[in-house]
Amino acid sequence: MTYQVGIDTGGTFTDIVVLDVKNGTFTVTKRPSRKDDPGAVILEGLGRSEVDASDISYLVLGTTVGINAIHQRVGAHVCYVTTQGFEDVPFAQRSNRKFHYDLDWKSPVPLVNRRDCYGVDGRLSYQGDEVQEMSLESHQRLAESIRASIADNPEREHAIAVNLLFSYVNDGHENKIASFLKSEFPQIPLSISSQVAPIWREYDRASTTLADAYIRPLMTKFVSSLESGMKSYGYDLPWSVMKSNGGQMNSSAAGEMPVQTILSGISGGIIAARYFGQLCDESNVIGLDIGGTSTDVGLVVDGLIKYTLKWEIEWGLPVAAPFVEINTLGAGGGSIATIDPGGRLMVGPQSAGSDPGPASYGKGGQEPTVTDANLVLGRINPKFFLGGEIGLNVGLAHAAVSKLAAKLHADVYETAYAITELAAENIAESVRQLTVSRGIDPRNFSVVALGGAGPLHASAVALAVGAKRVIIPPHPGLGSALGTLLADKRVDKTWTHFVRSTEIDAIDIDSRLRELADSAITEIRQEGFIGKPHITRTVSMRYMGQNYEEEILIPDGPVDEPAIKRLLDSFHKHYKDIYGYNIANEIIELVQFNVTAIGPANFQKLRPVFQTNAHSSIEYRSVWFSPDDPIDTPVYRRANLQAGVAIVGPAVIEELDSTILLHPNQTLTITGDGIGILELGVTHDC
Amino acid sequence: MTAELHGGSDLVTLNVINNRLTGVVKDMGTTMMRAAYSPIFNESLDFSCVLFDRRGRMVSQTEFSPAQVGAIRFVVKWLIAEIGEDAIGEGDVLVHNDPYRGGAHMPEHVVVKPVYFDKQLFGYVANIAHMVEVGGMAVGGFAATATEVYQEGLRVPPVWLMRGGEYVHDVWRIIMANHRAARYSWGDLHAMLASLNVAESRVSELLSEYGYEVMNSAIEQLLDYAENWMRSEIQAIPDGDYFFEDHMEDASNPPTRNMIRLTMSIQGDSVTADFTGTDPQGPHVLNCTYGVSASAIYNGIFNLVDNDIPHNDGAYRPITVISPPGSMVNVVEPGASVGGNTETHPRLWDIVMGAMAQAIPERVSAATGGTSCNFLFGGNHPDTGRMFVHYHFDGVGWGGKSDRDGNDNLCVPNGNCITTPVEVFETRYPYREWSYSLRQDSGGPGMFRGGLGTERLLEVLSDEITISALYDRMVTGPWGLFDGKPGGTSELLIKKAGTDEYVTFRKAFGTLSNSRVANVIVRRGDMLILRSSGGGGYGHPFHRDLEAVMHDVVEGYVSLEQADEAYGVIFETHGESLTLDVAKTEDRRSHVQPYSRDLYLPIPVSNVQCQFPSRRLDPDGSWRPLQRDWWDTKVEHCHFCGQMIPRDVWVTSDKHRFCSIECDSRFMRE
Repeated sequence: MTYQVGIDTGGTFTDIVVLDVKNGTFTVTKRPSRKDDPGAVILEGLGRSEVDASDISYLVLGTTVGINAIHQRVGAHVCYVTTQGFEDVPFAQRSNRKFHYDLDWKSPVPLVNRRDCYGVDGRLSYQGDEVQEMSLESHQRLAESIRASIADNPEREHAIAVNLLFSYVNDGHENKIASFLKSEFPQIPLSISSQVAPIWREYDRASTTLADAYIRPLMTKFVSSLESGMKSYGYDLPWSVMKSNGGQMNSSAAGEMPVQTILSGISGGIIAARYFGQLCDESNVIGLDIGGTSTDVGLVVDGLIKYTLKWEIEWGLPVAAPFVEINTLGAGGGSIATIDPGGRLMVGPQSAGSDPGPASYGKGGQEPTVTDANLVLGRINPKFFLGGEIGLNVGLAHAAVSKLAAKLHADVYETAYAITELAAENIAESVRQLTVSRGIDPRNFSVVALGGAGPLHASAVALAVGAKRVIIPPHPGLGSALGTLLADKRVDKTWTHFVRSTEIDAIDIDSRLRELADSAITEIRQEGFIGKPHITRTVSMRYMGQNYEEEILIPDGPVDEPAIKRLLDSFHKHYKDIYGYNIANEIIELVQFNVTAIGPANFQKLRPVFQTNAHSSIEYRSVWFSPDDPIDTPVYRRANLQAGVAIVGPAVIEELDSTILLHPNQTLTITGDGIGILELGVTHDC
Repeated sequence: MTAELHGGSDLVTLNVINNRLTGVVKDMGTTMMRAAYSPIFNESLDFSCVLFDRRGRMVSQTEFSPAQVGAIRFVVKWLIAEIGEDAIGEGDVLVHNDPYRGGAHMPEHVVVKPVYFDKQLFGYVANIAHMVEVGGMAVGGFAATATEVYQEGLRVPPVWLMRGGEYVHDVWRIIMANHRAARYSWGDLHAMLASLNVAESRVSELLSEYGYEVMNSAIEQLLDYAENWMRSEIQAIPDGDYFFEDHMEDASNPPTRNMIRLTMSIQGDSVTADFTGTDPQGPHVLNCTYGVSASAIYNGIFNLVDNDIPHNDGAYRPITVISPPGSMVNVVEPGASVGGNTETHPRLWDIVMGAMAQAIPERVSAATGGTSCNFLFGGNHPDTGRMFVHYHFDGVGWGGKSDRDGNDNLCVPNGNCITTPVEVFETRYPYREWSYSLRQDSGGPGMFRGGLGTERLLEVLSDEITISALYDRMVTGPWGLFDGKPGGTSELLIKKAGTDEYVTFRKAFGTLSNSRVANVIVRRGDMLILRSSGGGGYGHPFHRDLEAVMHDVVEGYVSLEQADEAYGVIFETHGESLTLDVAKTEDRRSHVQPYSRDLYLPIPVSNVQCQFPSRRLDPDGSWRPLQRDWWDTKVEHCHFCGQMIPRDVWVTSDKHRFCSIECDSRFMRE
């Protein structure tokens, strides 16, 4: 029992990290992902990792099964059951459009056919009172319709989604129809809106419940086939699946809550960023994971990862579940530089991908990419890109950038420099959306650079947003897979309960919060956590008449009259802080109570391996740090840098999966954990 | 002028500043949405945030509402000119909703705040938003039967809301005393102020980072950049004068029509949109302010060119709008205008499409549903005893295009609003919705059909709710293009408690019109049906792909009857299953000329006659300040383009008064 295994299924590669618990070292297996059978790759990878299954104590998986099925539209045939008269809610949508001025835009297509949307009678009021009873005839008609629809689609997997009006206030009708459907269709999985997403706004709830149903058969199948695969590999302990909220849950629960795993696998990077921040005593962290085609930006504030309840499959198809808040933008090494019709230089979001790839790959790519610009500027080593796996052709990069430069009437180095700066600026803008736009000051943050291209661009991004410094973990390219091993267990529970500040029943709220906490604790135990979880409670509040809420922390302890009074006061204060005014005598509406249970990860600290004693540079080359003249710059191998070493820029530090760029006057110090701390060396006046 | 690119670092700075400026207005929008009171702000997002430079030129804007963005461009420029830059100090906030000063209609209030940096004026941040209750003869600021501006609510000329950061109490008190739901107005105005403060501090940060000079030069370049791009797009459209006309209607007995006539003149890289020939303004609410008419023209054109052009002042420069004062498209005091923004704007947009169909048929769409289906109400909520007011609207079907069907249920093009969700609606207001669905067969048949409108069924749950409504397209369906058929008309019906028939409002309440009603009382148990119109079809429906018709029938967008009658597609039914009757279908369809690309070519413009060929080379006149008492709020208009003249007037020797020498030179004399 000496190994922990973290698996990250990415779009291109499946990374398997095996951590030796005894000495903190790890090995990595990289296999090409297979969209048709993601489980097979995992089992094959485990087989190759030369680890005996019986030595594994713990295994976590981040998977893209759910999101892939949705994006490729290969999920289940879903029957949608709703309140009579509202069958068109998934199609009528919200009536707004993605762009003001684009006649070519088409509304998003829901995950269900219009003919498969069925109404049943029975109606609740907004307070949850029954104003019309459900009838057996209506149920029976429904069963007939579903039966016929299933017969019409014999080749597909099936699922049923139930979303009745006001089910978030009273789930009685939904439960009734659920038990009817269970008895009529015992083989067909059900997604019930009051369980999947007990939130108001029927369209958001419909869209979420449909997404849940759409991937339910697939997730169940994936988990159970992997389960048996693991058994035959010899591993029979419980294993975990990453949730979209950055937590993890027992694999057996994953099939039950598929919507919670839609973005399983995307949160690994930010979890790793938080961990490496902590190792450097930094609790405010901007995580930058810059890859070949895209960049993920996430935020850790006061040691806590930022979450959101809003995420969209594509514009207009919302999924309302807890997600780690990550901005993904089309900026990476493969991003193409072009001139738009207005004459301005643009970088991305189009990407050359890996085929044909950047011009320098020599696979027929003609357009200059960020990687080509870096090559022209001497910042990356054509013979040591991805550890030398791909040889890069500097001449082709030069030719591609030159073509663009001619159109701009600019010098080739000026143009290459502008391309790298623009790539950094695009990423910086995404950071600003998560920070400055929310009243968060990035000057109190360190950037953690992850992904193959992270350490190359992180200091430019950090400078653009005014961040303090850059933290560069060992093996930055493996952040996501490592992150899965660092994830906490996490369960979120919500209770939608409208109540005005003038009519609060503290005793009722107190007991409901206890119930929620108890059920969260039960669930986190079911998901495999042993020990005492950490509980946080919040309530979203607004002034009466408003429609958006602010989330306010409920301090620990019983919720009694004085606690309620303090809670209302803290809302008034919070509101004033954010919007510059408040309405002291206004009635406040409490809308939704949230309880989160967190079971901290049990993680063995990583130990760096320093390879030799020398940190001397291995060569010098010309590198452009400005559009003007190149500087003869020393190039180091990262593995040769010892703890305590400090290098003053300009310098380039290369490792297998990444390259660190150190601008003049920046310094890089290696910590005892093998982490590089890049001090920006200039004061940024903003 | 072409934006000059000065190599590496400038290429970057320009992008950075553009990103940051766009970020500023986005942040304003987020603040506004979260801090607002009315659902029309926080659910429907009926507001826009804009940043102006010192000369009142629009630098960046949020993409929330196209109708407002066109108007605010004039509102702020004219406000600064009229009040005078010197009179506006640091910490001041001005407000106005004057429709004759560029505003869109009375509910739209604009707030403007100067941004100073080191005691030097840099520019202005502004926010225009639809306030839900502004007083006047009908609840909800939507007096559909108004004949004069004075009935439409409290008209606020440009006045100070804040001075040096302090409340101007007198102004606040006058506004609050005239709005029915003062609590909402108080909260919403504060949300607007909060958004201005956010923007002010963001712009200040930018200025301290880049300095006054760099920022200003970047702004010049960004405006030129947008202008260049827009001009190159217009250049690609064949030159010519393209005329189209359509009407606004009143579903009275007999129905009345007001004609709108438009000539779009494409000359090289510029456009002149001329409304000469449009009917005079009338004693109804469908008149447009200059701001609305110009917005609609911009909006239409933006839909026909690259969507990525930055929509700053530069993009508007190549477009001139001529709108005769006193006509339906440039209302003067005391004309009413509340519906011009919601009903006439989409019609003007359709007319731009109709005109440009002759030049670029592949890019335009057939008519949209063309009405906001404004449905307003207020009363006291039986559950809370509190007053409520709400402005509800519905989406419509959009028109088909040369390569795709129109979308179902979308907000009309003048806005981009979200309809209030059923659960929010019922929680806030005493109604029960019994259904909300897409209307089968309401999409205009065509090779590419129009999108579907919607239907709602509402039950009144209160003893008394006062409602007003303003609809259009109740009489004539939205037109199709190239043999495409019109979309379904809109409807508003009521079944009073105790009766068993849905009837029109004329029948039920004796109103003059079915489409314009104000202050009608509905009572507990009354049932209402709200139907929105569908979009027009594009191309002959017999040319529609058989698979597509089949799909429409199976999915319920098109009935078997419509498939047969309009599309010439005949099915055989065997119980529940359908099969296509190929022989009958082919026979039916053979009566129409088979599809060929030539059927959809631009109408050739022979002998192109551009309307404004000559330029007066020797402008003969002088600039004079407008003479006016300080209390006089009358507005004067340019003799050529119809714009408001805010401060100085160009008076010619032949006694014409223009807003610019350019207008003098373009004015054709007898």
